[in-house]
Amino acid sequence: MALIELDRISKTYDLGLSQVAALRDVSMAIEPGEFVAIVGQSGSGKSTLMNIIGCLDVPTAGRYRLAGRDVSELGDDELADVRNLQIGFVFQSFQLLPRASALENVELPLIYRGVPGKQRRERAVEALRRVQLEGRMKHKPTELSGGQRQRVAIARALVTEPSLLLADEPTGNLDSRTGEEIMRLFLDLHAKGNTIVLVTHEPKLAARCPRAVRLVDGEVVADGRGREVAMSNVGASDEGDAGARRCSGGP
Amino acid sequence: MKRRRGVRLAGEVRDAIVQAARSIAAHKLRAALTMAGVAVGIMAVIVIFMVEAGMRTSFARQLSALGPNTLYVHRWAWGVDRSEWWKLRNRPPVGQLDHRALVAGARLPVAIAPIAGTEATVTFAETDLQHVDVRGTGEAFLDASGWQLKRGRFISDLDDELGTDVCVIGADVEDAFFKGQSALGQPIKVGPLARCTIVGTLARKGNAFGRSQDGVVILPLSSFLRSFGHKRGLTIAVVAPEGKVAETEDEVTAVMRAARRLGPGDPDNFSVNRQDKILSSFNQTMMTTNIVGILVGIITAVVAGIGIMNILLVSVKERTREIGVRRALGARRGSILLQFLSEAIMVALAGGAVGVALGAGAAGLIDLVSPMPATVDPAVVIGGILGSCLLGAVFGLWPALSAATLHPIEALRHE
Repeated sequence: MALIELDRISKTYDLGLSQVAALRDVSMAIEPGEFVAIVGQSGSGKSTLMNIIGCLDVPTAGRYRLAGRDVSELGDDELADVRNLQIGFVFQSFQLLPRASALENVELPLIYRGVPGKQRRERAVEALRRVQLEGRMKHKPTELSGGQRQRVAIARALVTEPSLLLADEPTGNLDSRTGEEIMRLFLDLHAKGNTIVLVTHEPKLAARCPRAVRLVDGEVVADGRGREVAMSNVGASDEGDAGARRCSGGP
Repeated sequence: MKRRRGVRLAGEVRDAIVQAARSIAAHKLRAALTMAGVAVGIMAVIVIFMVEAGMRTSFARQLSALGPNTLYVHRWAWGVDRSEWWKLRNRPPVGQLDHRALVAGARLPVAIAPIAGTEATVTFAETDLQHVDVRGTGEAFLDASGWQLKRGRFISDLDDELGTDVCVIGADVEDAFFKGQSALGQPIKVGPLARCTIVGTLARKGNAFGRSQDGVVILPLSSFLRSFGHKRGLTIAVVAPEGKVAETEDEVTAVMRAARRLGPGDPDNFSVNRQDKILSSFNQTMMTTNIVGILVGIITAVVAGIGIMNILLVSVKERTREIGVRRALGARRGSILLQFLSEAIMVALAGGAVGVALGAGAAGLIDLVSPMPATVDPAVVIGGILGSCLLGAVFGLWPALSAATLHPIEALRHE
């Protein structure tokens, strides 16, 4: 059974006078253990797709099954629980709590899962060890480098043992060397069996993923081996820019 | 599953408290100003209620000086409002005839003392003491009032009969003139006319209603009337035997009506007063104070609450992205609500605690420098603490709700 099943997903934003279709009839399936890149220009709908896959938003039309459960019509609190149990988020700008230590940041999702304090601490320490940050547990985010911050964020995403690791431009705020370090960490996690969806606008990153999906104007235009889909970018870039003007979809 | 929910809530509460404390610590000045608002408000309310309690205590003390078993026969009814005053103004004053009738006719009373009073200047050896409470009465006065003799003797019925120029003085008068030396046998001038010899001194009675009761000089009634005029109305203090106040009141009323030759249909043209009548009029006055206190309380609560609302709205704005992150990690709306309510309650509680402490300090100060007794009731402390919690919760609710209902995506994108 596929972990993620998207069946003719559409998302339309109502802007009052006009309606903007951010996603149109997107269908795809992602199996457990896959490493999939979603690529596209800004405005291609990849952020909208990521929000729906991440259960931060619900589609206007279509069905989304996550681990066999239809989550396309869940209420707000139920979606929160699904996010807590199934999904680990990694954001472009790290999104760590500035006044909490690395350890406390990693513990956070476990609080919402109701894990008792001692066990929470043990699991958070273990997650930080997996990203080689066991020596920085008491540090505040401001006392860490960009790469270290992103690794804390990855540890926070991993600590709940989620079915899916969802990364949104995880190297976007890092220099190329540190970005490479983080990409290797994802490849390593994939090798250990984690399912990862990586949202990026960089064809170079997509090329290194076993599978990539290209979005243009809210539609899937290519789905296949990462390298091949990334190469298809050259011809599609004009179309992508046109999409950027038409679709709202944020940064 | 139930246990897990409990663990989750405990974890969330702990996290909320830690985060709220950090948020406050990160903006110390901002938080301190808001807390100051709450503190001043809580303090104001505590002081008002404390002053009111102090007035009650001192009033009760003064009432107990009147004695629970003592009836006061007087022209006026105590505790009547102005409109009734017009109805009573044609009553004849209570005089010595009424006193004699009561002594002769009433069998139940333990003691019957006629009391006349005025205010006058008292002079001893070229020293004036102004605004002295001067009273003319008889032997029964000691039994009918809360006074105790300290030295010498009290006025006797014989003094009254003969109109001797003797007097008994209160502790303030004694202190003002004699400062440790014996007052007995010394001559003083009371008012413009009376010259009398001190035969006794009274033990200190203390303050009632913010004013000393010990600035008093007591003369025999006849001497008093001779010096201050015969037409003065009297108050006749009647001490009822324990447990027979109502019967005594009936008897006194009957004797008075007979003495004044009132027909069966005539209304009483005198009043038999008891301390509880004063109490009811006092309670009416205190109600006004109460309303003022409650109004001040509401106003300060609103002002302080707006401060809390403001600081919380700023906090929500600053932490919008954090809200988004928490929601992405699985926080429900209730968790976010809890977090910001905790912050509001914590600020309010800290302010409230300071306010209670300031209020208690003010109470100590008032107790020390003013004649009014002021104590802080534990109920006031608990009320202040709980009240400030409530304040935080009420005024924090809207900002907290606005945080909780933010869409996670909007919150995450917030710059």
